[in-house]
Amino acid sequence: MAYSSKVIDHYENPRNVGSLPKEDPNVGTGLVGAPECGDVMKLQVKVNPETGIIDDAKFKTFGCGSAIASSSLATEWLKGKTVEQALAIKNTDIVEELALPPVKIHCSVLAEDAIKAAISDYKKKQDAQGQPAAGATTQPTA
Amino acid sequence: MTSSHTHHLQVCRTCGGGAPVDVHFCPSCTKILTLGRQGDYFSFLSLPRKLNLDPALIEQKFRALSRQFHPDYYYNATPTERRASLERSSYLNDAYRTLRQPASRVAYLLEVEGVLKPSDHEAAKKVPASLLEEVFALNEELDDVREMRASGAPEDAWRARLATAAGPIEAKRAEHEAQLQELSTRWDALQDGDDAGRQAVLNALRERVLERNYINNLLATIEREATGTGGPQL
Repeated sequence: MAYSSKVIDHYENPRNVGSLPKEDPNVGTGLVGAPECGDVMKLQVKVNPETGIIDDAKFKTFGCGSAIASSSLATEWLKGKTVEQALAIKNTDIVEELALPPVKIHCSVLAEDAIKAAISDYKKKQDAQGQPAAGATTQPTA
Repeated sequence: MTSSHTHHLQVCRTCGGGAPVDVHFCPSCTKILTLGRQGDYFSFLSLPRKLNLDPALIEQKFRALSRQFHPDYYYNATPTERRASLERSSYLNDAYRTLRQPASRVAYLLEVEGVLKPSDHEAAKKVPASLLEEVFALNEELDDVREMRASGAPEDAWRARLATAAGPIEAKRAEHEAQLQELSTRWDALQDGDDAGRQAVLNALRERVLERNYINNLLATIEREATGTGGPQL
């Protein structure tokens, strides 16, 4: 199949590959699998507790080029966004940006799922600490 | 294959008489029946549809039928009987091969009970949620092993690393075997008519079987890496 130049670029030079400390209360980890092809994708966000802004994102994906490109692009987009803005990223945005063919749309769905799983893990950690997650509420938490 | 719950009659091609579905010889003329309608592998071997079957009993049933169907005995018989002998011998071999191994026996049971279609084995390629952690960790380890090999690490070093990677998957497989065994015992103890209980056990068995297929795929991946035929795929 023909990959778009953007997919190839992300595949050959993936951004933000790696891991963040899983135990860090400001790090959220999302681990998801693609039912269509058996890919696995791990995506992590690190939220600045002061500002509620995601200041780092990492991923590691075992799968096809489109899955790697989708998660690589997702980490690029996540940096600098608030948690709420991150949740607004849709798989269709990724499809459009990477010009994914219909058979590879599930890779973008996987990336969106990974973002949601990472954010949900982060929020769970914050709740467990008895404090509202930074950026998770519209009210300022003085 | 039709459901074994419907009691079709077989028709004897020799005398035209009718015969119950799971007999092998015509009750009227005693000739061997051609294979038309039959039940399933369990009923063909007159075994109960259970999972913990005594291997000696399966063996004994197989040998007895094998003797009765053997084409050598039909050397001088009519073409119809010769064909029937070949058909029954061949079906018997399939039944024996399938039921002899506990792994294929449970998969077959799920098929005849209608909860697992052969095409569902495609589902074994999917990562079950319960295995995501292990799959991810294994992939990372395999990456490391490939890197070690690429940088010329000694063979016993990367082999040791590969063995470490296989550990959790092998533990998972052992855990699965135990769960399968427990469910098999529950299935065998079910009473006729307990439809809700049957369905619950069948669904749990189905999940285990599909997961096990996936675990076996992972172990095969490790094996390929060990023999040097693995590698990343785009």
